[in-house]
Amino acid sequence: MTLHTIITDTLLGVVVLSCWIGAAGMWRMKQPIQALHYNSVPGSLGIITLSIAVFLEAGNSQASWKTLLIALVVLGINSVVGHATGRAFRARELGHWEPLDGDPIEFVRDTEGK
Amino acid sequence: MNVWLAAALAVSAALVPCADMSLRGNPERRLVGLEMTSIIVTVILILLTVGFGRLPFIDLPLALAIMSFGGGLVFARFLGKHL
Repeated sequence: MTLHTIITDTLLGVVVLSCWIGAAGMWRMKQPIQALHYNSVPGSLGIITLSIAVFLEAGNSQASWKTLLIALVVLGINSVVGHATGRAFRARELGHWEPLDGDPIEFVRDTEGK
Repeated sequence: MNVWLAAALAVSAALVPCADMSLRGNPERRLVGLEMTSIIVTVILILLTVGFGRLPFIDLPLALAIMSFGGGLVFARFLGKHL
């Protein structure tokens, strides 16, 4: 067993574990907004680790660079679509997504634009 | 079966909770399940591409990832406004 094989197997193990943890965590959470956070485990750790594994396996090839592009798109799904989904949950609940006075977060209210 | 195909098979098990989330419950939970499913299926397709040694097929997960990006945004917008 070569070092290359050991590293590839380890990276693939991390990919599998990240997918399992993400899916199981999402399944266990009661609130959808909590479950939404578990998308980031396979969507960041899993896909980046998989990209490294493909680069090790296929070298400097078109497939490797396309895998990197997929990783960037999935990271975009993770951040942009995840954020849009969270906003949609709040908008669905309140009719708008802006923070309320009683919310446990710090924010500056934009009074000039209104 | 090489390690890539074994990994693809193992990752496929993660689709069971995704199916449960997508097929049952309220629309919010279903949308979260759909987004997780798209990420996991993308990972599975990459693993299968390398596992079978058909590297040109990497275009399939690339197309899925790009379409999931747009589809997820549309579903999120639709859920917030209309559903």
